[in-house]
Amino acid sequence: MRAASHRFDAGARRRRLPAGAAAALAAFALAGCSLVEPTSPPTRTPVPSAPAGTVIIPAPSPSAPAAEPAPEAVPQPTPPPPPTTRTYRLGPATQSLVTQARTQVERGELDAAGGTLDRAIRIEPRNPLLWIELAQVRLTQKAARQAEGCARKALSLATGDRRAQSQASKIVADALKAQGRVQEARAFEDRARG
Amino acid sequence: MARSRFRLPAWLRRFKAPKTLLGRALLVLGVLAGVAVLALALWVVHLDRVVTRQFEGRRWSVPARVFAQPLELYVGAPVPADDLEEELKRLQYRVGDPATGPGLYRRRGGTFEVHARRVRFTDELRAPVRVQIRTDASGIAGLADGKAKDLPLFRLDPPLIGSISPVHGEDRLVLGPGEVPKLLTEGLKLVEDRRFDEHHGVDPRGIARAMWANLRAGRVQQGGSTLTQQLIKSYFLTEEQTLARKLTEAVMALRLEARFTKDEILNAYVNEVFLGQDGERAVHGFGLGSQFWFGKPLDELDVGETAMLVGVIKGPTYYDPRRKPERAKARRDLVLQVFADGGLIPRDVMKREQAKPLGIRKPGGAYVPAYLDLVRRHLKRDYAEADLAAAGLTVYTSLDPRAQAAAESALARQLKRLDATGKRKGTLEGAVVIAEPDSGDVIAVVGGRNAGFDGFNRALDAKRTIGSLVKPAVYLAALETNRYTPASILDDSPLQLKLGDGTLWTPQNYTREVYGPVPMVHALAESLNLATVHLGLEVGLPTVVNTLVKLGVDQKPAPHPSLLLGAIGLSPLDVTQLYAPFANGGFRARLRSVRAVVDENGAPLKRFPVQVDAVASPATVYQVDRMLTQVFTFGTARGARLPGGIVAAGKTGTSNDTRDSWFAGFTGSHLAVVWVGYDDNRVTGLTGGSGALPVWTDLMSALRTTSWEPSMPETLEDRWIDYFTGLEARADCGAEVLPVAVPIGTPLAPRADCPPAATDATQPGTAPSGIVDRVKSLFDKVTH
Repeated sequence: MRAASHRFDAGARRRRLPAGAAAALAAFALAGCSLVEPTSPPTRTPVPSAPAGTVIIPAPSPSAPAAEPAPEAVPQPTPPPPPTTRTYRLGPATQSLVTQARTQVERGELDAAGGTLDRAIRIEPRNPLLWIELAQVRLTQKAARQAEGCARKALSLATGDRRAQSQASKIVADALKAQGRVQEARAFEDRARG
Repeated sequence: MARSRFRLPAWLRRFKAPKTLLGRALLVLGVLAGVAVLALALWVVHLDRVVTRQFEGRRWSVPARVFAQPLELYVGAPVPADDLEEELKRLQYRVGDPATGPGLYRRRGGTFEVHARRVRFTDELRAPVRVQIRTDASGIAGLADGKAKDLPLFRLDPPLIGSISPVHGEDRLVLGPGEVPKLLTEGLKLVEDRRFDEHHGVDPRGIARAMWANLRAGRVQQGGSTLTQQLIKSYFLTEEQTLARKLTEAVMALRLEARFTKDEILNAYVNEVFLGQDGERAVHGFGLGSQFWFGKPLDELDVGETAMLVGVIKGPTYYDPRRKPERAKARRDLVLQVFADGGLIPRDVMKREQAKPLGIRKPGGAYVPAYLDLVRRHLKRDYAEADLAAAGLTVYTSLDPRAQAAAESALARQLKRLDATGKRKGTLEGAVVIAEPDSGDVIAVVGGRNAGFDGFNRALDAKRTIGSLVKPAVYLAALETNRYTPASILDDSPLQLKLGDGTLWTPQNYTREVYGPVPMVHALAESLNLATVHLGLEVGLPTVVNTLVKLGVDQKPAPHPSLLLGAIGLSPLDVTQLYAPFANGGFRARLRSVRAVVDENGAPLKRFPVQVDAVASPATVYQVDRMLTQVFTFGTARGARLPGGIVAAGKTGTSNDTRDSWFAGFTGSHLAVVWVGYDDNRVTGLTGGSGALPVWTDLMSALRTTSWEPSMPETLEDRWIDYFTGLEARADCGAEVLPVAVPIGTPLAPRADCPPAATDATQPGTAPSGIVDRVKSLFDKVTH
């Protein structure tokens, strides 16, 4: 695994890029060269003489100019915490829209209720409770496929919230049954029961 | 003879043919004259019909008014005070102290008092209302109504972005009679047709005056055409200067005046007059002209700007305020003089206005032809033509004016910079589409670097080779077989394929290097071609094709091996649809620009609510997405970063010989696709990373976007692996280890010098040779 250790070095250099790279890039800019993209993957085989036009240098992005003294650390997505229990809630704005939508449903104005929930989803697009609400309206409208899509979306967003998961699963099951997919619905019914 | 067959009227029967030669000659002449008069009458009737039909057709095609999405205000909305004030100004709210009437606002530090106008939304007609808005550094901090009662949310007026005739496909900012400022119509008459209110379509006195002036000048200096005649000339688009033409125009003008009122004719003129050329698009009408030259609605023009609009009519090319500013200024000043002489404005106003610059805006900005183009197509796709023909429709769209402006300026700025670098000849073009991942709302469309130009809409119509943008779909197809994980070792080795037509296909990596065994995350981040082709062939081309189709590629691509490297032409909008499920956790949201269409009375025609379909398992998509975040850390987009440490996922795409430069990427709240290239498909020398990526980074930095950070699906776990070998390692084993999301319990071989804690415990002192064997066996298993 000698080759590998060589590559580790390459990788290590790159990860410690900020200070060194800034200096190198500043020098590069001073030399009057054009900016080029970072095309060079870290290789174990040394890069042969690069053909003209494929100069290989990490370029600064427009938001991070080369001369920037202390660039931010490369954003490394931190692993999200293991699933813990949580409870989703609505903010005051979306709560008022959900209340309005429910009133509209009671009055039989299902289209309007869908529009109101649409507005709520634009404010909190990743709140599973809103998708559950919309799925319920779609189910009432007999739009089973759309109900299924919304409920599945709710389910995927409801990580950690058993209650929301159960509600969403129930709607998925109902929507599947409405489409005659009784077999598939079973698993979701089980999930809905927890 | 004919006479014997017909029963003639009595008066004719009493008629006796003249006996003298003279008498007969007179009779023949009389008959000829009669025929001539009849022919003339028929001609006039014909012209009358033609011109009336034209006029009616124009008048009754009242276009639909198109609105952008309203700004929603609620506690926590990211709208700081300055942004709010800017938005109020854009909506033509004016400062009033106190804000005592609709359309006024007052700002005290971070607190606003807004008297909102009466406004119609998709779902309500809101009466004028007073609101208190408190802001802090991060955005909206409080909302209250006139009685200091807390409001949960409040939306501002939706901004008008244009008018379209959904059926005819033509867009104009058509104005009703009440929408044209008095100064403009009075000034127009003063300059172009002083006797408009008196004449009957043709003005003999005006003609005589013009002829006299022309005679004295020795050349054609003045035209004696009335506004009515000019209107007709514009209807039939001819610059022919023959006598017959003039006569025809005059007759039509007379007929038009006989049938319609002066107000109707003047209003038609206001919407028809030719005011300039925007590339291939002719700018007709004062509504559009005002946007084109000044970037604001007609009723916001000041005296000098109004004079410029009136002045430019005489020769929109000759007096082009952008190309010939001095000439245009002289013309404007002369028109101001005429305004003052005619008593329309006081002398001091004339002097003040003459001292001002022209105030012409730079091209681009307020007018969004590429977006309106998408709206028109979505209307055609989703609505019945008969419904759209109704007059007075209102179309509510998803356009976010701030995102649109950010995309336009980022594209223009970066293309200008790229044009100046390298040895490129000609002007690079580009296109951008931005969507909201969860709802599928398309919030911005830029069809070219000159965004205000209604020409070739590259965002929708440029079908260009997508190159490596296809790879996430290949990797998704692979993960869906459950035979791979992001830590699987792929084979980046040379290969040759014999194609159906007998030719040999020898794909290569962009760098022309070979990387041997690499973990999947490495192959995707660095966009390795050989590894991808090996993987795609193992998974099977039909499987990859099916994946592309379910993700949202409209037309089923042919299962050629080159498909694995993106030999397929898609528009930026198509690519947006293709990437939507990646940005939306495996759900395909139907892209939409039209949220609702409302008729004249506010009744909705049909709604298009958000619609999502589950097309891929959230867990599988999550694994691909996590690899796509590594494109920014280790891969082809490293070096690019968003302000504030915003996490993004994305992919570069470069087509053969750098003809197309692509970047498709998303954050938690935005999905943006950028294409850069030449219209004639020449080589650009730009990769996805050097061409499209800077545009993408620039525009994303200008948006208020959020990190891509969905919770990890419960079936997955994070494991740290070596970027080069795929061996599992501890998180603190240096810079070349990275976390990948893999199904819980995935067996991974440990890295000898820095094994993960658990492996440490179970396999103390594992010899390096043993690991090599294990890697080898893993490798064999995966690649064969």
